[in-house]
Amino acid sequence: MNQNPHIRATQLIAQQRVEGISSEEQSWLAAHLDECETCSAVQAQTAQALNAFRGMKIELPKNLAARTQLRVRLRAEELPAHNPGRVLLWAIAGISWLLGLASAPLVWRGFEWAGTELGLPKIIWQVGVALWWLVPGMVATGTVLLQKWARTNVTE
Amino acid sequence: MWANAQKPGLHFSSLMTDDTKFIARGLKQRDPELLDLLIEQYQFRLFRYLLHLTGSRERAEDFFQETWVRVLERGSQYDGRWKFEAWLFTIARNLVLDWHRRKKPESFESLRGPEEDAAAFDVHDEKSATPLESVLSNEQREGVQASLTKIPVVYREVLVLRFQEEMQLEEIAVVLNTPVSTVKSRLYRGLEALRGAMSGGAA
Repeated sequence: MNQNPHIRATQLIAQQRVEGISSEEQSWLAAHLDECETCSAVQAQTAQALNAFRGMKIELPKNLAARTQLRVRLRAEELPAHNPGRVLLWAIAGISWLLGLASAPLVWRGFEWAGTELGLPKIIWQVGVALWWLVPGMVATGTVLLQKWARTNVTE
Repeated sequence: MWANAQKPGLHFSSLMTDDTKFIARGLKQRDPELLDLLIEQYQFRLFRYLLHLTGSRERAEDFFQETWVRVLERGSQYDGRWKFEAWLFTIARNLVLDWHRRKKPESFESLRGPEEDAAAFDVHDEKSATPLESVLSNEQREGVQASLTKIPVVYREVLVLRFQEEMQLEEIAVVLNTPVSTVKSRLYRGLEALRGAMSGGAA
């Protein structure tokens, strides 16, 4: 504790604003301020300075929020989609791919059998097998690219 | 739940303090409606903080927009443990510090340790107009503006966070990434400087 009452009062005036003071300190300060004009003036100056600081008027730039909202939305369009549903989609695609791999010998035999029964040249049913695998992937890729193209056009 | 926040009668500000987890979830999902509302809600406070930090209206505006783009990009990092404004101001502050580091790399260290040099961290561009000049209303220009420009920005910053934003010391420490003791020390010096400046003395 500071022995000089004026220094102590000045410290408490600041402390009161910054981190708070105990009720005992408040009582002591109030009693001191009642009898000390100099410290009362410090208290008044502090209050006045803070009031002016708090009440300071600042003019916002015109349409600041609207312009920022637009910029944020445009940036959001550029970012990769943060869609939890997409994880599920990828999981389904992965499982589908694994099942496809497991069933590949059966599909191959199925096409071979159908080709033989219909009397088709070997190359025809082999192309059929290839298309069986490629077409779903091509359709999916096409859909994704189409979506991206549509998004880009909307942004522009 | 968010739709409820837009209904008349429900105060968004109370939602902001009560439901930081909700904001965290919305930011993770990059919810555009949420971001629009947050920008609207915090525009004045964030701009005011940036203005005090940069001392320039134009730069404050640039950083304002950049801050929200960062909020969008890094929204998943906000976990709702602290008030949203503390996280928001941290992002804004880091952007200003990065800019300052690029601009004046040699002065960056003194910028981070202002207790050793009270005059450090003066981010004013010498060639630019007087900070805050075009911002304050006419009746205040003579007094508050002139006084504030005398106060080093490190102190102005904590004064804004404490007495305008009414943040707790711990929250300010988070924003500044500095110990609470440092925050207190800056606040005492800042308060003294403010009082001195307002009463016409040297800061």
